[in-house]
Parts: sequence; C-alpha cells; structure tokens
Amino acid sequence: MARTFRYTSLALTISAAILLSACDNGKDNDPIAQSPATTEPSAVEQDQSGSDTGTSAPAAASISEQDVASHYADLAHATYLDALTTAQALDKAVDALLAEPTEANLEAAKQAWLTARVPYQQSEVFRFGNAVVDDWEGQVNAWPLDEGLIDYVDADDYQHEMGNEGATANLIANQTLTIGGETLDASELTPQLLADLNEVGGSEANVATGYHAIEFLLWGQDLNGFEAGAGQRPVTDYVQGEGCTNGNCDRRASYLDAATDLLVSDLQWMVDQWSADEQGNYRAELLALPNQDVFQKMLFGMGSLSLGELAGERMKVALEANSYEDEHDCFSDNTHNSHYYNGKGIQNVYLGSYQRQDGSVISGPSLSALVAEKNPELDQTLRDDLDNTMQALTTMKQAAEGEPAMAFDMMIAPGNEAGARIINDAIAALAQQTGSIEQVAAVVGVESLQPDDAGHSF
Amino acid sequence: MFSFSILSLRTLKWAGVTALLTASVCSAAWAQTPRATWHDSLATGYTALAEQAGALDQAASTYCQAPSTDTRSQLESAWREAFDSWQAVRFVDFGPVEQDNLAWQFQFWPDAKNTVARKANQWLGSEQPIGVEQLKADSVAVKGFPALEYLLFDPQAAKSQPLPQERACALLTGITALLQRNSAQLQQQWQDFRPHYLNTEQFQRTTVLAAMHGVETLRNKRLAAPMGLEGKPRRNPYLADAWRSEHSLAGMRASLVGLQQYFLPGLRQWMDNDQGAELTNRLDQQLTTTIQRLERQPADLQQLLADDDGYRNLQLIFIEVDKLNQLLSGNIASQLGIIRGFNSSDGD
Repeated sequence: MARTFRYTSLALTISAAILLSACDNGKDNDPIAQSPATTEPSAVEQDQSGSDTGTSAPAAASISEQDVASHYADLAHATYLDALTTAQALDKAVDALLAEPTEANLEAAKQAWLTARVPYQQSEVFRFGNAVVDDWEGQVNAWPLDEGLIDYVDADDYQHEMGNEGATANLIANQTLTIGGETLDASELTPQLLADLNEVGGSEANVATGYHAIEFLLWGQDLNGFEAGAGQRPVTDYVQGEGCTNGNCDRRASYLDAATDLLVSDLQWMVDQWSADEQGNYRAELLALPNQDVFQKMLFGMGSLSLGELAGERMKVALEANSYEDEHDCFSDNTHNSHYYNGKGIQNVYLGSYQRQDGSVISGPSLSALVAEKNPELDQTLRDDLDNTMQALTTMKQAAEGEPAMAFDMMIAPGNEAGARIINDAIAALAQQTGSIEQVAAVVGVESLQPDDAGHSF
Repeated sequence: MFSFSILSLRTLKWAGVTALLTASVCSAAWAQTPRATWHDSLATGYTALAEQAGALDQAASTYCQAPSTDTRSQLESAWREAFDSWQAVRFVDFGPVEQDNLAWQFQFWPDAKNTVARKANQWLGSEQPIGVEQLKADSVAVKGFPALEYLLFDPQAAKSQPLPQERACALLTGITALLQRNSAQLQQQWQDFRPHYLNTEQFQRTTVLAAMHGVETLRNKRLAAPMGLEGKPRRNPYLADAWRSEHSLAGMRASLVGLQQYFLPGLRQWMDNDQGAELTNRLDQQLTTTIQRLERQPADLQQLLADDDGYRNLQLIFIEVDKLNQLLSGNIASQLGIIRGFNSSDGD
C-alpha cells in the first residue's frame, strides 16, 4: 500500500534524478556474495558519544554530521543483514518441512518465521524516506492481503478488497489466472512468476509474495475472530500423494518454496544496497547527499512509521473499527511483536544503536548525540518519549504473551476496555514522540519534513 | 488517510482548561482575528451538520413508521444533505471532532475491505437488540454515513434484510439517532472549545494545515486513487467514498463549498496585505472553477470511470483539483511560512 501523500507542489529537497536512478536498479541482479569480514558494521563500535547524553561533551568531542549519516547506513546494513540471515534460516526450515512434513518441522518453520520478523520489523524505519526501500518493500512485506489469491479460504469467513478480481483466484489450485481480461500461465510456480504476480491486476491486496504470503502458507487463515488462537493450517497440507489435505499439495509446496527463495534473494539485494563494499549502490548515493538530506530521511522515516503507519494504520484503524482484517500479522497472531520491533527500530535510528541477532550491539555517532550538543533538553525529551513508547509496546507484548494471553486480535474486540487501553497507550506514546521528532528536525537543520516524491508523481 | 493528528494530545488538554478560561473570555477582543472568524464560520458549519443530522433522523423514523416511495425518497435526500453538510466541515481534523474519534464515527473511510458491510451484516443477521447504546459500543464502521448508505443504496444489504424490514429499520434509526447525538455534541463542544482555540496561537497554523490536508486527501485519495493515478494504473470506483449512493463527485463538491464558506473568510483575514489578497482571490476563483466543473458532470465517478470520454472528464476535474492543491499547499503555505509536519497520511 505505498500511498504516501505527495506534495508535488513544494520544492523537493531531494533531486528526482537520484531517486529515479535508485529505482532503476534491477531486482534480479545476481546476488553478490558478501564478504562478512569487511561489511561487519561493528567496526564503528568504539565511538561512545552515541550512548552518552552528550550534555557535558566539550566542543572538541563534537559529533561529525557526516559520521552520523554514515552510521545510519551502517545500522541499515546490519539490520538488513540480520533480516537476510534469519530469512535464510527460514528458507532452510521450509525446505526441511517440505522434505518431511511433520508437526515438528512445521513448528520449526513457524519459529524461523517469527525469528525472521525480529530484524525485519526493525528495518521498517528505513522504508519511509528511502525510496529504494519503499519501492522494493511491496514484494516483501505488503499487507493486508487477499489470501484467496494464493490458496483455499473459508468461503463464509473471507473478506477481500472490493473490486479485486484476483481475490479468489487460488493460484495453488489453478494453473492459469484470468484477470483484467488477460489469462496468465501459472503452471510453474517459480520465484520470478510469484514476483510477476504480486499486485496482479493492479490491486495492492493481491500479495503473492513476501513475509505475509509465507505466514499464510504456514499458519493458514485465522478463523477465530476475536477469540484466542491463530491460524490452524494442518501440516498434511504439505503431504505429497496420499494423505494430502485440501488438494494440490505439490503446488502448495512449490509455492512456499518459491516464496521463501524469493524473500532471500530480495533481502540479499537490499543488503547490497547498503553495503560499504559495493560501488554505485544506494548507500553511495545517500552519503553523497548533503547531511541534512540524510537527516531528513532519518527523521521522516521515524515520524512516518510512528504516526501514520504504526499508530494509525496498524493500530488505530484495527482498534476503532474492531477489525481483525486490519491486523498486521493476522495469520500468526504475532502482531504485538511486529509492533514492538517497529518501535525498537525507530529508537535504534535515533540512538544510533542496534542489537544484532547474535546479541552483540553496534553503536556509533547518533542523531541523539548531535541533538544533545545543540539542545540537550530536547534530546532528553525525545529519548524519554522513545522509552515511553517501548514501555507501552512492552506492556502490549507481555499481555499478548501472558497467561492467559490477550493477542492483538483480542485486544481490538468490541467492549474489551483493557485491550483498548493497552493499544491507546501505545498510540498516545507514538503520537507524543512524533511531536518531538518534528522539533528535532529543526534543531539538526532539516527545514521540511515533506515526504520525498519517490518518483511517483503523475 | 484517516484524519489523525498529533494534535490529539494537545486537544485532550483543552477539556481541562476550558472551565478556567471561560470566565476570562471577552469575545470582542478577538473580533478581528482570523481565528475568531474561523471559529464563527465553523460554528455555522457544525450547526448545519447538527440540523441536517436531526432532519435525517426524523426522515428515518417517518419512513420506518410509514414506508412509501415518497418517504423513502425523502429519506434518501435527507441522507445526501446530511452527508454534504459533513463533507463541508470534514477538513477540520483538530479540536472536538477528535474526541471519541467523532470524525471516524461520521465516516469510516477508506474501507477497502468492506468493513462497513461486514459490521452492518452482523447486526442485521443477529438477534441482539439494536439501540444507540449498543451501537456506541461497536465498530466505528457501523456508526456513520457509510453504514446508512449501505442500508439505503446497496443491493447487497437489500438481499438479506431490505428496508423497511424490522431489523433493517432498527439499525437505520439506531444509526441516525447516534449521528444526531454525535453532531449535537460536536456543535456544543465546538462552542466550549472557543476560548482555547482563540487563545492558542498554534491553531492558526493548524487550521490552514487542516485545509491543506483536506484538499490533499481529496486530490490523492478521493479522486486520484479511484482513477488509478496512485500506484498501479487500475481504475477502481470502490476506492472512492460514497460510491454506493453515486454521490462521490457531489461529496467532493460539498467539501470544496465548505472550504469556500468556512475556511476562506478566516484565511482572507490572515492574509490581508496585497500579495495575500491576490492569493486568496485566486484560491476563491480556483474553488469556484473546480466546483463548477464538478457540477457540470453528466454522471457520477463510477460511470465516468467506465469509458474513455468519462475518464477525460475526470482528468479535467483532476487538473483543477491539482491546481487548487498547488495554490494552497504551495503558494499560500509558503507565503504564510507554514511547514508541513507529520500527519496520518504518512506511511502507506
């Protein structure tokens, strides 16, 4: 749903040429083997200023704006690298499941998916503001989806986008797909075909690829409404030959295999975009910009994810409409974690730190340190705001994982006051931090928080 | 997308300070300020909304007590008029309308997944009693104009429980009663809000940002999106608002009329030098031009999307709306030194 408002009328701070060339990079570049030794971002770890309040820092210890910008790229690289490695683990777990469809293997694949979400959700703060990510992410993390495009759904309990011809296409059961008067061959479910089918017919709800398509293929539809429980896809949906449930188990297996392969290659592409070892990639373009333009992207990403996307689209709509169709991870009931790690990602960018999947922490020259030099009070305010948000999201996570568990789709049930309070507290904290982010923008010389045009102008 | 601003928190605070301030208010002191003008204008707008919502509630009761072709058509007109009076003040995304998510209660939109129909069908298909209190506890999607529109204009609703069957009527009159109550509450709270609005300098900027956001929403979401100009080039009338009643373009017209009536006068007062007067005159003209173009259409959006001639008409409307947007968010905003912050439309 890449529908950011665009202000074509106002001067853009970023040259359209750069944005366009960023979009021109093909998605199917050969995945280039990374050299982990040289891309390890922890090289910048020793800079302490990022984690100090900086109030007492003498002028000599001044933070370099250029270092803050390049450390931002380091953070993005580390986060995507973790997203890649956890997706590779998911891919392996899926391969094991398909080779041997047992309960244990299904459970292991689900666990791998849940683990893969941890770094990916932290990466979403890089999406808004960086067109290279926003233009790419539709194939990776689009939602909500009309899952009937992919596989069987319960005819009585399936709500899809109005006017979407592909909403009940069921690619797993059908070798061809007719949409918009055109018939497409879907006999071989390859990663390339799935990529081509994503948003087929022009509907953003036709999500054929990415985390949520994989989530649906592992968990199945959540038919519990506001009651406890996630999707209950039987593992026999992947049994080949006799014992196959719900038909077309061979095609279902091919689909899941192709979708996980595609996720890995997509993430590899994004890792390369942020690598310090690649020539002419997005990182190089970004760091060639004036520092203030990079700060604009950092802050725009933080603010857009905080308010419009996380507080608004992912929480408030679901809560106020009491609509589990608008739940983010609706098949797996992992929504609380998706929200939690989104919040974490926002905090990471400001503090210039990220805890990697292996437990190590990278930190370096941060926006926070830069702001602390100019306005220590404001820096402290935003730090406190970010802490409060994480506190509220921790409460949400604990409620969802507690005993008895109150998952996000239960919190949004009509009349659940305790659930509504948990969500509203998180929304209020996110709104509060957005206000401070706006103020920080002025302090670091960002004149306008306009979204960039991302090359989508008419 | 949905109206949802970071002002929510600031607004929440006014309820507490209102009582203190009311005593010290001398309205004459602000007689000449833009905010005083805006407050008066919007009070007129909210009063009209409350009156039309009352008339709609009355028309719903009359129809359900004595169903006939006449009472039905009066009811449908009453819906259109009340909807239009909401469109006229819909751009206001701060102040009392933020309380209890009133804006969403009036109009939950966009609704790609058809939550409105799903929630309405749950009420139609169940046994539980329907009343204002019960509806209040449910989804915003069932509380406002779109849910009524579904009952009145969607053949899907008519298939299961056509009006004037008992449950359909109970739901219809329950929603109109809630709308009436909400609009009366909004009208009253807008009055209570006056001292805080006049005393808070920041609302000057906030009010212009609200108008900018309103035009932007109209351009991008209400018009460009169904035309397939946002994202993938697919025409989809269901992305528009009021498609069920074929009132999409008329609703846009009502929003622009609202800006002309309730926003422009205060803006003129703020921009009272020569350059400002030139810009506000241009804005006035551009509003008129766009309104007139919308009035000249032979059919509503859905039908115009269906063929190339119709689509050309929509393109011409889009050009006018785009000019309007550029004038407001470009020339006027920069003249006033207004910089856009984050709003609900950021993100997806």
